Formats: sequence, C-alpha cells, structure tokens
Amino acid sequence: MLGVIAGLLMRPFRSPMLRYVVRRVLWGIAMLVIVSALTFIIFYLFPSADPAQLRAGRNPNPGAVAAIRHSLGLDKPFYVQYWLYMKNLVLHFDLGYSYFNQTSVRAEIFARLPVTASLAFGALILWLLIGIPVGIISAIKPRSILDRLTMSGSLVAISAPVYWLGLVALFLFANDIGVLRLFPGSGTYVPFSQDPVGWFTSLILPWFVLAASFAAFYARMVRAQVRETMTEDFIRTARAKGLSERRVIFRHGLRAALTPVVTMAGLDLSGLLGGAILTETVFNIPGVGRYAYDAIVNSDFPPIQGTVLFSAFFIISANIIVDVVYAFLDPRVRF
Amino acid sequence: MHRKSKRRLSGSGGRVVALLVAVAAAFALVVAAGTLAGCGSKKSTTSTAGKGVTPPPPLNTKGKKGGTLTVLTASDVDSMDPGYAYYAFDYEVVYATQRPLYSYKADSNTVYPDLATEMPTVSDGGKTITVHIKSGVRFSPPVNREVTSADVKYAIERGFAGNVSNGYASIYFSVIKGAPKALAATPASVSIPGIETPDKSTIVFHLSQPSGAFIGALTMPLTVPVPEEYAKPFDAKPASAYGQHVVATGPYMVANDKSGNVKAGWNPNSFIHLIRNPNWDGKTDFRPAYLDKINIKEGTSDPSVMARQILAGSADVNGDSPPAPAMIKSIISNPTQKKQLYFTPVSGSRYVALNTSKPPFDNLSVRRAVAYVLDRRAMLLTRGGAIDGIIATHFIDPSFAGLGFEAGGGYSNPFPSVNNTGNVPKAKEMLKKAGFANGMFKGATITMVADNTPPGSNTAKVVAADLRKIGFNVKLISVLHPTMYSKYCSSPANEPNVCPNVGWLQDFKDAQTLLDIPFNGKSIVPANSSNWPQLNDPKINSAITAAEKLTDLKARAEAWGKIDKMVTLSAAAVPWVWENFPTLFSSRVVPALMTWNQGSPDFSWISVK
Repeated sequence: MLGVIAGLLMRPFRSPMLRYVVRRVLWGIAMLVIVSALTFIIFYLFPSADPAQLRAGRNPNPGAVAAIRHSLGLDKPFYVQYWLYMKNLVLHFDLGYSYFNQTSVRAEIFARLPVTASLAFGALILWLLIGIPVGIISAIKPRSILDRLTMSGSLVAISAPVYWLGLVALFLFANDIGVLRLFPGSGTYVPFSQDPVGWFTSLILPWFVLAASFAAFYARMVRAQVRETMTEDFIRTARAKGLSERRVIFRHGLRAALTPVVTMAGLDLSGLLGGAILTETVFNIPGVGRYAYDAIVNSDFPPIQGTVLFSAFFIISANIIVDVVYAFLDPRVRF
Repeated sequence: MHRKSKRRLSGSGGRVVALLVAVAAAFALVVAAGTLAGCGSKKSTTSTAGKGVTPPPPLNTKGKKGGTLTVLTASDVDSMDPGYAYYAFDYEVVYATQRPLYSYKADSNTVYPDLATEMPTVSDGGKTITVHIKSGVRFSPPVNREVTSADVKYAIERGFAGNVSNGYASIYFSVIKGAPKALAATPASVSIPGIETPDKSTIVFHLSQPSGAFIGALTMPLTVPVPEEYAKPFDAKPASAYGQHVVATGPYMVANDKSGNVKAGWNPNSFIHLIRNPNWDGKTDFRPAYLDKINIKEGTSDPSVMARQILAGSADVNGDSPPAPAMIKSIISNPTQKKQLYFTPVSGSRYVALNTSKPPFDNLSVRRAVAYVLDRRAMLLTRGGAIDGIIATHFIDPSFAGLGFEAGGGYSNPFPSVNNTGNVPKAKEMLKKAGFANGMFKGATITMVADNTPPGSNTAKVVAADLRKIGFNVKLISVLHPTMYSKYCSSPANEPNVCPNVGWLQDFKDAQTLLDIPFNGKSIVPANSSNWPQLNDPKINSAITAAEKLTDLKARAEAWGKIDKMVTLSAAAVPWVWENFPTLFSSRVVPALMTWNQGSPDFSWISVK
C-alpha cells in the first residue's frame, strides 16, 4: 500500500522537466541561504561597527553595553544568531528590526518596494525604447555616420558613472537648480496614489539617468546580435525567396536577435528591484536602494541583510525563470 | 561629546553629536551666590572664534505667523526620544517640540527658564537644587494632561535605563544622591531617591556633592518631561519604543495618529513632519513659534545639490550637513547670497589621539615629537581651509576667552611652528630626548585607524606623511566612521596607536564638558570609551576631580584653564582645528540660529517673509 502511495507521489517527478524545475528551485533556495550566511559572516568577522556600542551612547558602563547587546540578541554565538534569524525568516517571514531606529525591516522594504519598482520598470521601458531602435539602426547601417555617432554616444553613456550623470541631469534640467528648469529634481518623489502627475514628472530625470547606461549597453548588444543574425543562412534564404528587406529584418532577423535581449532585460530588471542605490541616492528617492545605502552608512545590519536577501531573491528568481523557459524551449537543457 | 558620523561639519565624513552651549557663567554665579535669579542671565558668550565667523542674525521678534519651512538633511535623527537624543540634528527637533527645564533663545547662548518658572534655588552649600515648574504646560495628544514635576523625575530616571541608554545621564546626573552607577535594564528598575517631588510643581535635587556642571545640565533634553503612565509600556520593551510614540510639550509636535504613533510624521531616513501642538500655550513660553509646519526632507546626500536648492528657494535651510566647500566659496563671493550664509563657531576641537597605553606613545617625549611635527595647516586644508575654522592649539576653545581660563594657563601653544606647518627639528630634538640617537624613530610599525572617506581620510594621510618625516612606519587602516569609533578608537582593547579623526564638543557652556570625559582616567571603559588617548595621569585626574566640585566662576575657570594646559602639555592628544558651522537660509525666510547648538536652524524662531 505504502509503495503504491509513494509511487503516486513520485509520479510527477518522473517528468524530467519537473525534476529540472524542482532542482533549480532547490538550488535557488540554497543560494539564498548561502548569500544570507555570507552576509552574516562578512558583518561579524570583518571590521564593522558594534551595534550595541553605537546604541549605548558615549562612555557607557560595561553593564549598559552588555544589556543592549543582550536586548539585541548580539550576545549569542554567531551561529545561534544566524539560526534564529533564519528561523524567524522562514517561519514568520520576519527580517528583524533596525538596530538604529527599531523599525521592522520587512515593513520598510515592502513600503519602499513600489518606489523602487516605479523607478526600475520606467527605466526598463525607456532603455528598451532607446536601446533597441538605436541598435537596429546601427546594425542595418554599419559604419554610417549615424552608427558611429550612436555607438560613440553609447560608449560615453556606458562610461559615465550614474552618480555623475545624475548630478549633471539635476544641474541641467531640474526645475529648481537646473539651467533649463524642465523637470522636478532631487527629493520631489511623490507616490502614485497621492499624485499621479507628480509621480510621473518626478521620475522623468531618474528614469533617464538610470536608463542611460543600460540603453547604451543594449544598443551595442542589439547591434551585435542583429548583425550576426543577418549573416545566418535562414536570412539568406528569406532574401532568396524574394522577401522585402524590411520583412527580412523585422520578421526574421529581429525575432531571432532579440531573444537574448529579453533574457538580459529580465535579469537586469530583477537586479534593479533590489534597489538602484546610486540613482535613488542622487535623486533622494525613498526606495529599497536608498534604504540599503542608509543602512550601510549606519552599520545597521538587519536592513543590510534584508536588502541583500531581497535583491538576491529577485536575481535568483529571474535566473530560475529564465532557466525554466530555456528548458521548455530547448529539451537538452533539462538533462 | 564626540563627533559622530552623521553630522558633517565640512565636506563630508564626520557626524557630530549634539552640542549644547549654555551660559555657565550665569549659572555659576547663581550657584556661587546660592540665590534665586529672577530670570536668565543676559550674558552671552564672548566669541573670538575664527576667521569667517559671522554675527548671528538679530532676534526675530516680529515674524509673520504661518507658513511652512522646508529643511534639507542628509540623514535622520538618532531618535525622537528626548531621553536618547544627543546629536545636533536631534536637538533641532527636540527643542522645537519639547520643553526641558531650561533652554535658550535663538541667536544667543542665553539661558531661559523653559518648563521652569525661574532660575533654580541653590541651598545646602550647593548640594540642594530646587526648581519650580510652570502650570498650564500640557502634553500633546493623546496624553493631553498637564505636566507635573513627577514627569521630570521619571524622565531623568528612565535615562539611566539600558533600554533608553541616555548618553550623558551617568556623567552629569549621577551626582544626584542614589543615582545608579550602572545602567539598569528598564526604567521600572530605576528609582533615584535624591530626586524629590514634594508637590506637582516642585522638583528638588539632592546632590552627593556640589557640582559646578549640574545646573548647566538642566538645559539638556533629559529634563524634558515624560508621562510615565503613557510611556511605561513602550519603556518596557528591550529597546524603548517611546521615540515612535513621543508626545510633545513644546510649540510643535511630530504628526501622529490617535494612539500617539508618529509614523505619519516620521518616516526614518525619509521625512519628519512637525505640526503645531494644539495643547501648547504661547503664554507659558518665550518662543514665538511663527511657522505652522516644518517639513524635514531627509536623504539629500549631495551638499552641492542641497545648497543650490536652498539658494533656488525650493528648500529653506540645511539641517545637518553643511554646503559643499566649493559652494561656500561661491556663495561668499556673491554679495546677495553671502547675506544668507551664517558661520557659527563650534565649541570643541578635532584632535589626533595618541594611544598612551602602549609603546611608543607611552613616552611623553615621543608624543611631544608628534605634536611638533604635525602640519596643522595642511590638515586644515583637508577640510576646506580657513572656511572650516581656525587652527587649534589647545582644548578650551576661543569662545571661552576672557572668562578667566588664561589665569590657569589655558590659551598656550606649547608646540609652536612657523604658520603651524610643523617643526621637524624640534620634533627630532624630542625624539633624541626619548633616546633615539639621530632624532629619527626606530621601532615597530605603528597602526592608525581612520575614516575611509574624505575629508577624514585625507587628514589621516597628512598625519601619516608627517609621522614618516621623523621615522615612523605607519600602517593606515581605513574604515567607516562609526566603525572607526566603535571597533577601534573607542575600544581600548583594540585601540590602534593613532586615531587621527576624533574630536570632542561641549554639552553646554562649561569647560568641564570639554575636558572631563575625554581626558579623565575614569572615562576609560571597555567599550565606547571617549578617552581615546587612554590618558590616565593621576595629576590630571585629581585636578579634574577637584575642579568638578568648584562652583565659584573665577576659581572654576582658573582650575579648568590649568587642566587645559596640563592636557595639552601631555601631548596625548594634538588639537588641530576649532571649526565653524555654515548654515544657509533661503531668501524667503527670516533666519534664526541655535547659536548654542552649532548654529543649527531654530524652528521656533524662524518665520517666512
């Protein structure tokens, strides 16, 4: 009887595809555990501020520091602290409380996630809208003036640090301190629910700044992909069949060339959902990245751990999704 | 108080803990006379501090009622809990929302009775201090009731609890009879028999000995009343949550909900919204409170953007960080903008601490060699040069000049050099005296732990280069500012040989607050020690113990002047700058400064034009 039940339970896992998915998910979970453990180790073993001492104020007696250390659970061995952290995380989805202001890390991250998502999705749309057409045009007309201009421009955009680009954008276009005074500048973010127009306008400059280097990178990637695809046999066949060049490029060439772009976009977006630290810092946008930045500056471990795990979760999830999609597309991957 | 990471004085890097600058002169006179003063002394501090210091704006007595002030800050308050607040930006919020026993008018160092009705009565040879408090002062919603003396007693007692962890209770308030020597777990376990409240409007402090600094400390936020019945559940938590539910007694309050949770008014590292306290009665207060609302926007990390936004009028004042040095230079060169910028001398100094507990700096001559060789002008340039302040040569800063400290030997410069650029021959002479034949140090590599960001990191490089001139091999370890303090310089067991990025500010206008903690051997504790040189000189210790008890102004000044000289000559710490703090206002507001708090904006006195 038991054998029958076990057989029934295991039946789904006879599917190589399902086994592959389960394997990838388990590896993803293992990766998250490794990331969390590494963050713990880095914080505890390498030089960092002692939260109990930071909290104790100046010249405390040893008893005060000990009392604070105990209240924060820092007097327990490293592995016990880690175990308790993971236990609370798994059982209660509790990411702990800030040593600095005693606020819930989970609540803070979830409150800030819509802000970061607004920034990340807007930037994604922008960089795809800019990067793909530019890449295609450059690929179709290689070595033309347009190609040289856009590729040179993309090099500049890739090389420009986001922090610098953000400041330049503010000094040129912010409506309070800019030369041209076109868009709201630093510290103007308002939630969509409060003021949709204000939300949109306050994100225009951050979207462009965040999208700039991605757009440049994508333009170069699309250019290379399209150029490579256009030399493939099936393109030659399409041309031989007498299809128009426009149809060859858009119906046959681009579809093949853009597949890796979509994959990359998914991965990049997942990375940004963990917080666009520099953009959020320059434009004073209260997102997850800004939260991580403040935590680092204050040596506030629970938010650091929380934002790292959060970011890792998105990246690993995106990787799993990509792997699974590939497995569907290419059966060889499943084995 | 030592300089923490949040408050940046110039450029970036060093956060400064709160600074209370009171008028000890007035207090000391009161103590000496043992009589009751009718009102706060009008005597202000004589300021001779540095080049670039501007006079404070005239007191804003005819401001327009209403309007909103927008304040830009790089970071957040440490806490909304007045029992924990101990940082200049904390005080901007605390002194607009709360009423300690005594506080200050804007643009001066003058102390006024705030919650108290008058200056304290001193009796029993300086060992009994009696304060009467005003009637008609009420807590903000949801508490709403009238403040009593028991609320002040509870506030002070809870400061001794580990889960509130006030940073100065054990320093200035442990002189009260029965005050704990070690912090207790929760406020419930703290009871100080030396604080009596014979009736609802009287609080009596019985001291174990006369204390010249105690009355000055009554200006500190620890004396802000806390309603026990409301705060107790929050104070029972491992880390008190009263800061998230704080109630106000001042003209403003942090916006809150019906339960008292201030989440609507304080989103950490994002914003603070102060609104009018409906229970505040202006007739009981000397503050005009012109503004209707104060919006503090946190997270403006770039000091150039901050300054430009203020000049453009999209914000009104910098709350915790100064404008970038380049912007300051630009503003100074513009006749219109120049009028919007105020420099306030910061009472206290930055110094290089030399660890006296182990070789080679356990040798006085070796330390003096370092005091001679340091190029203080180059060090000052790492923070922006003359706009940052003036070169310090000892510890009692120039704002104390003329108060009698000179008689004790203060204001000396025992390690002079041309233009303060360092004196290598004299340094070598000192090393020869220490037994190094050719005047060059020979020995193990010394360690130096410094900030990993400018300007502190640049200052450290200058110090390391200077030390190499006389033969030291320096291993420079660069870490975050909080790490530099908590893991290394404030932890005697881990302390390196040199800590080049430390500093100390006064709590109120009393030289004791500049010298007692950072140079008293008693201050060396296993963790969070503020005696960074680990100076434990019996002569200095006993001189400090004797000076603490002095209440006569002249004798006190002379005694602390003598201690200043002793500490400077010990070369355990080498001071190098007395700083000025720049505050920039937009053209749409009438400015007001907390002169006693590093020139921070005074929300209770600023008005819109």
